[in-house]
Amino acid sequence: MKTKELLKKLEGVHTITSISDLLNVSKQKAAYYVCRLRKAGYVKTKRLRDNRRVYNISFENRLGGSSYYDILNKNSPVKIATPKVYRIYGKEPSLEETLVYAIKTRSLRTILASLALFKKIENWKELYHLAKKNHIERQVGALYDLARKFMRTRRMTKRFRNNALPKKEYPLVYIVDNLKSKEFSDIGETWRVYLPFNSADLEDYK
Amino acid sequence: MISIEEQQKLFIEISRRLDKEITVYAIGGTAMMFLGIKDSTLDIDLVFETERDKEVFKDAIKPLGYSNIDSAIVYGGKTNAPEMMKRGDERFDLFVINVIDFIFSDTMQQRAEQIYQFGANLILKVADSHDIILMKCATDRLKDRDDAKKIIESRKIDWQTIVNEAKKQINLGKTDTAWELGYFLEDLKNDLKVEVPQVVLDELFGILKNQIEKRKKNI
Repeated sequence: MKTKELLKKLEGVHTITSISDLLNVSKQKAAYYVCRLRKAGYVKTKRLRDNRRVYNISFENRLGGSSYYDILNKNSPVKIATPKVYRIYGKEPSLEETLVYAIKTRSLRTILASLALFKKIENWKELYHLAKKNHIERQVGALYDLARKFMRTRRMTKRFRNNALPKKEYPLVYIVDNLKSKEFSDIGETWRVYLPFNSADLEDYK
Repeated sequence: MISIEEQQKLFIEISRRLDKEITVYAIGGTAMMFLGIKDSTLDIDLVFETERDKEVFKDAIKPLGYSNIDSAIVYGGKTNAPEMMKRGDERFDLFVINVIDFIFSDTMQQRAEQIYQFGANLILKVADSHDIILMKCATDRLKDRDDAKKIIESRKIDWQTIVNEAKKQINLGKTDTAWELGYFLEDLKNDLKVEVPQVVLDELFGILKNQIEKRKKNI
């Protein structure tokens, strides 16, 4: 079987057993196929608790690079499946860039996962610069205040807060389209945003 | 020919030389490589949003040894031919929104959901496979038909998306789209034995018929 054909048939997450079942071949032959795909760069291997191997077979693996979703999954207890391809080459994206990207997706789960980044974010100057460029300073501020209620985070600089805080007459904006929570209205009022989370959403951070 | 790995290195190198962030759309063999349909390509077809972005990109690749060549060699007298830059046997075909007889429309831009960022400044969006077929029809060079065949055989094609985009192109003023696309797909079906549903061809030639009747009335 040609490598491309194999890749097409096996794209996804597999164990040796699932591959041998799918292709109707022995486990030995299945291991040989995995080896061939690995040589071509299509396989990433992980081990389960019981030491069994799980193979993530995808064309994307060959392209390498890193992605914002990899960084989120590495740093957050809330794991997310990659909803769309966004790969980065020739530089390692910073946590600040990852947070801004997550907020810009306007996806509830991605933003929820990104709250964990406040534990490690140190370069508030870069974060402010990126947030301002994308007009999301208020969203960053509100999510920071929310994260502080549930976890220990690095402290936001006074300069960031003073520069990012909106005037009281500013209209409220959504972080996730048409989604507002009845909780945390104090934070929402301060930053003039509608927070999309209830405390139940933040269970993973408790 | 340039491979996936060489192409990645090249884009990183270009990104280092760009002095501002630019977004480009990959439409040809490059897009097919990112979609896993092809392993190498001769020419890197890119569509820019503005003329200014294209100039910035050109300034970045010139120091790498790329120089202008006459597009008539490949595209003949076609309108909206790209600016072509070559180094050895690698070639960049640089378009700005207009790709020969087609427009890289806003819907095409929205469908380009796969994004690859090289360094800090080069953001490459990969055209959707349906739009690559349309672009292959637009450029219609040697091997473009083979590439279109490869796409149709390896991806699930929603033919209605292609027909809808053809209608959109006509609304944008590219009145020959139904004709061009109809004959391109018919050739694929007859010469290369590609499975193109007859209803799709019928719909395209139906559009063409209406256009002819309208013109007749105007005369």
